[in-house]
Amino acid sequence: MHGFFGRLLHVDVTSGQSAYRDVEESRLRKYLGGVGLGTTLLYEYAPAGVDPLSPANPLIFASAPLVGTGVTTTAKFAVLTKSPLTGLIADSLSSSHFALELKRLGIDGLVITGQAPSLVYLFISGQGVETRAADHLRGKTPDETHSIIRSEPGCSTVWVASIGAAGENRVRFATISNEGRHAGRGGVGAVMGAKNLKAIAVCGDRATSVAYPEEVETIADSLRRRSVSSVTDKYRGLGTVANLAVFNRLGTLPTRNFQQATFEHADALSGERLTETSFSRRHGCASCTIRCERLFKSHTGEEQRLEYETLFALGPLCGISDPDCVLRAARLCDDYGLDAISTGGTLSWAIETVEKGLLPEARALGLRFGNADGVLTAIHAIAERQGIGALLAEGSRRAAMATGGGSSYWAMHVKGLELPGYDPRSLKTMALGLAVSPRGACHNRSGAYEADFSGEVDRLRGDSGRGAVVAASEDFAAVLDSLIVCKFLRKCFTDFYAEAAEILARVTGWEYTGAEMRRAGERIHTLKKLFNIREGWRPDSDWLPERLLGENLPTGVARGVGLSPDELEEMIRGYYQAREWDENGFVPERKLEQLEIPTS
Amino acid sequence: MGRSKALLLFDEEPLIVHVVATLQRLFADVVVVAAPEQDLPSMPVRLVSDEVAYQGPVGGIYYGLMAAGSDAAFVTSCDSVFLNIDLIAHLLDQLPEHDVVVPHWQGRFQPLHAVYRRSVSPLLAEQLARGQLRPVHLFDKVRLRRVDEDEIRRFDPEGSSFYNMNTPEDYAEALKRWSVTRRAGHSIQCTVELFGIARLLARTSSIALTLPAGATFSDAFAALAEKLPALVGRVISADRTRLVDGYGCNLNGLAFVRTPTAEVNPGDSLIILSADAGG
Repeated sequence: MHGFFGRLLHVDVTSGQSAYRDVEESRLRKYLGGVGLGTTLLYEYAPAGVDPLSPANPLIFASAPLVGTGVTTTAKFAVLTKSPLTGLIADSLSSSHFALELKRLGIDGLVITGQAPSLVYLFISGQGVETRAADHLRGKTPDETHSIIRSEPGCSTVWVASIGAAGENRVRFATISNEGRHAGRGGVGAVMGAKNLKAIAVCGDRATSVAYPEEVETIADSLRRRSVSSVTDKYRGLGTVANLAVFNRLGTLPTRNFQQATFEHADALSGERLTETSFSRRHGCASCTIRCERLFKSHTGEEQRLEYETLFALGPLCGISDPDCVLRAARLCDDYGLDAISTGGTLSWAIETVEKGLLPEARALGLRFGNADGVLTAIHAIAERQGIGALLAEGSRRAAMATGGGSSYWAMHVKGLELPGYDPRSLKTMALGLAVSPRGACHNRSGAYEADFSGEVDRLRGDSGRGAVVAASEDFAAVLDSLIVCKFLRKCFTDFYAEAAEILARVTGWEYTGAEMRRAGERIHTLKKLFNIREGWRPDSDWLPERLLGENLPTGVARGVGLSPDELEEMIRGYYQAREWDENGFVPERKLEQLEIPTS
Repeated sequence: MGRSKALLLFDEEPLIVHVVATLQRLFADVVVVAAPEQDLPSMPVRLVSDEVAYQGPVGGIYYGLMAAGSDAAFVTSCDSVFLNIDLIAHLLDQLPEHDVVVPHWQGRFQPLHAVYRRSVSPLLAEQLARGQLRPVHLFDKVRLRRVDEDEIRRFDPEGSSFYNMNTPEDYAEALKRWSVTRRAGHSIQCTVELFGIARLLARTSSIALTLPAGATFSDAFAALAEKLPALVGRVISADRTRLVDGYGCNLNGLAFVRTPTAEVNPGDSLIILSADAGG
């Protein structure tokens, strides 16, 4: 087999037992790897209705056919589980050397079930799996954990994915982190923590075999060249922090818990300003020629990675205008292993709740919009589940339900996952994408905003035609996330599906067409939806927070623009039609047959 | 006039379409208040009707404010053919401390070229109930910002913003002025705002351009290249007619420019940004 190894490794951390299992070729052909393969494994290994924090919930690391082939931006892996935040599918991606080393174990997937009796880490090599005590790693940051494990005998070449204190404490939006990268969304770190699993250290010895090495190298070379063309200029020259100033100008920068979509101090936090004043260095994942990561220096000289989502969530969303505070907050999130988007989203909910006279304990922490000390103190409290932090560690949806007082109105989440940095009222295609996304309010499992920023649609007015746009965007993302190719490479393709089919055919030796790739995307997306239906998705799950439907934007160029329930309903209807689902969003059997998804 | 002013042809389109198009360069949300059963062309606006006919400007302002999505709105009439978006933007800038911002030109308030907060709606409703149909009755009851002639002339030296048409002669004069303006080749002023890499390369966040009347976006890119040669090859194509792949142009923060051959309008802000909004 080329591109794949045709087997997975299953580790039960309760007993420490592990076993290899074959993965059928037909499954790999139909679901590729990464998120696609991982979704099939999740469907299979997770008992229906499983408690996400129970031993039975599987934690799945899925590799992909292009990992280790030299194709740029493909050193990635997917982490799947049932999300403790949403109760639905969590599929997160991370990247770099851990991804390469995971594949070098000679497996396509790693499935972890059970719960260790005490904190452990897994050492996995070509020789097998060892469960090692990890008491000495308790409370350590992911970076510290990596360094400590590497200093242990026989581990100098391992790559490590681990959780921070937030994962150990089962914060429902904890991450799994490696080399400064994070499988960030949906609380995969809490699931790992619930297994008493601090880290996974991998050290493989198998190379990825490709069917046609010369052809693959030709394609890889072409993509490397295209990856440094003008279409990736933003990522290479400025990083994603470039979004902040322009989003503010276009009236789509979520501010003070989505009470506004412009921030009066945006200039101080803009990527352009940070680059001029605080830029430290550029960095990139392994096997990546784009190298989008930007590290900035705080006043104390400490380096910190910053991306747009972190910047918006810990800045404007919380009313924070001091770049140094954002850098410190970002550092805390990285060190504790917290998803910065959900951290900022939950904190901004708490701040507004305090301002409305509720949550006295949070008021005592100093939580108010723009108060850096309050935000920093609260992040510590969340990660350690101390005081009011125990409530906030549950995420905005659960915290609002527990608090009452009408606070669910301003809990800005979809299906429990906090919203990313795109205001849906001034990006109507994005509004639909967020409402229907299987993993909740997610900007990565579709690139729905892309249509809004292209001028092909009216970003300020929704219509039923957006359904097809969002569906196509989701299928496209599903293929990217399964091969796995970084989304920042997406505009380098002329005909993505045809080129993806060609790459996969040259790597695996299996014949693919562009049409088959497109169908694989639809199949993968549909399987995610089926998982969600099995785990309790209901038609009213596909909706947006009440605030977005009840308040028009008060400032900026989109001042006065809102999103009405009728407008959203029309778009959702159009989406179900485009998907050929029934009017309530359920998947009919004929669709499953068409996509060759077994109905039993 | 003897016929609906809104439907008079102006620059080959109904007058109301011309006025709405101008407003949409500045506003995302445009409300048109029509008389009951008034015929209007199809437009991407929110259309509301006077609940009671013949209530004059106060009725129009009141129903418009009630329908507006924001806490304040610029109000004008359907025959304001020479609107100046720089002046309108200036009026909006005065809003934070006031309820109504109204120009005063040649001894008269211009209530149909003014900004009103929604919060004045109850006062307008009281006026309607009392049959006071002139907006000036409102002005001594609110925090008023009067914008005087000297201030207006900085943006609109001849006060064309307040030109309206009440007779066939006014209409003929407006057509003549429009035609003269177009033929005379008056230059137009616009602003280019730079974001991302473009800003870093140019070392400035914005720059003013003077273009000949009728200039297209391609012409604007060429003029920009002339002023900021660092953008050529990286952001503006080598032939200076377009932006390179990966970059886009947004107009006034609202629509994205799809055709470089479209015309730039006076007062436009051309926003140069990355075409990729991924984050």
